[in-house]
Amino acid sequence: MNGPFADYKWAALAHDWAVFGEGFANTVMVSCLALALALALGVLFGVLGSSNWKVFKGITRVYVEAIQNTPLVIQVFFLYHGLPHLGIMLPVFAVGVLGVGMYHGAYISEVVRAGIQAVPRGQLEAAYSQGFSFWGAMRYIILPQAKRMAFPPLTNQAVSLIKNTSVLAMVAGGELMYQADSWSSTNLYYGPAYIATGVLYLMLCLPLATYARKLERKAAVNV
Amino acid sequence: MKRISVFLLCIVTVIGLLAAGCGSADNKPAQSAQADTAADIKAIKDRGVLKVGVKVDVPKFGFKDPQTNKIDGLEIDIARAVAKKILGDPTKIDVQGVTAKTRGPLLDNGEVDLVIATFTITEERKQSYNFSDPYFKDGVAMMVKKSSGIEAVKDMNGKKIGVAQSATSRKALQEEADKAGVKVQFLEFGTYPEIKTALDSGRIDVFSVDGSILAGYLDDSTTILKDRFAPQEYGVASKKSNAALAKAVNEVIADMKKNGELDKLVQKWGIK
Repeated sequence: MNGPFADYKWAALAHDWAVFGEGFANTVMVSCLALALALALGVLFGVLGSSNWKVFKGITRVYVEAIQNTPLVIQVFFLYHGLPHLGIMLPVFAVGVLGVGMYHGAYISEVVRAGIQAVPRGQLEAAYSQGFSFWGAMRYIILPQAKRMAFPPLTNQAVSLIKNTSVLAMVAGGELMYQADSWSSTNLYYGPAYIATGVLYLMLCLPLATYARKLERKAAVNV
Repeated sequence: MKRISVFLLCIVTVIGLLAAGCGSADNKPAQSAQADTAADIKAIKDRGVLKVGVKVDVPKFGFKDPQTNKIDGLEIDIARAVAKKILGDPTKIDVQGVTAKTRGPLLDNGEVDLVIATFTITEERKQSYNFSDPYFKDGVAMMVKKSSGIEAVKDMNGKKIGVAQSATSRKALQEEADKAGVKVQFLEFGTYPEIKTALDSGRIDVFSVDGSILAGYLDDSTTILKDRFAPQEYGVASKKSNAALAKAVNEVIADMKKNGELDKLVQKWGIK
């Protein structure tokens, strides 16, 4: 029987599963490193954004607004096609980690800032009175409390981040979406290709999203 | 444990739903094909217009002129000839732009009757769609920066080659590279302008697609190598179940070849 989902097309998919496996592995790797970068940037700029230092607050604002108000596709295009004209040739893997990491770093910094601001102001004052420095107070007093507030939205950011790595398909990134495009556009077996790809993304994201919901429930009980 | 089983249940449900969807998609064409062999032609006649998917970014074949906003080219002229045969009026066509990624699905869901879009005929693709006899033959060509010093495939050891998704040029070029004993790496992009951008920024060293398409992207800093590989044959594609339509298209192509009209069109559009 013919059609977009004909049996022989599924058979071809099963035969070439390694193509999708390679893409899946790349997606997982880019996601992990980008998430690490996004968390580092997010905590740094989240703390700076909620501090009283005007200059750092300004820098944080510029970073967050510039990233949040331009499409990720443009940012990745700039890193991939723009930087080489300035003499900087990043490998596509680094483009992915940097592009997606910086993008979600901006969102995570807002999550972290909101978490910090949700901690009562007296906590910081009390820490100061006990002789903590700003960074010491953040590290031992404020962030551990902010974490509980920030964790569920953070997990959602991780889910978005995984899905957003798919923009790398546009710059020959070698991740799951690129492999699916590449495979299915040659033989035109797009039906099985995109279903398999969707299921693979689902397998990555659904457990995380479920985990986020669980954390949210826990937070709600604690409050 | 409970959580894992819920998760598995979700996956199974999704797959189940998809399988159900596939089943119905498979059945439809079979029923209509049995009911009336010429149902596909009749549907076009009832509608009074032939819907054709064409390229909008390939000068001389299918190109949307940014000034007039009109799509025109060799492949649109072929669409007109088919409309004349089926509907008796060459102006009764409704063209829409397709890309390598959309042309298959658009055919399958009936959004277009025909795809005439520099669609290379391959054995693998013939399993999924009807292809007419070829109306044009073209070789894979390569564009490089003048400053790169690349003159032939043998100079391409360790180089990156940009090709279009869905293009058959990748396979052809890989065979050439194997023959010349050089190692090359392929990067696939969705559209031709993106490949050109990647060539300009130095992401790739070679831009390789069909020669006639490549000519549209030539500028001062680039040059097209003389070599041509693996002749690519373009055919008119239609949905597998629309057998009568495919037959009609084939007759049009055969007529146009016989009476020299096709050659005239190729000349009209200045395609070598």
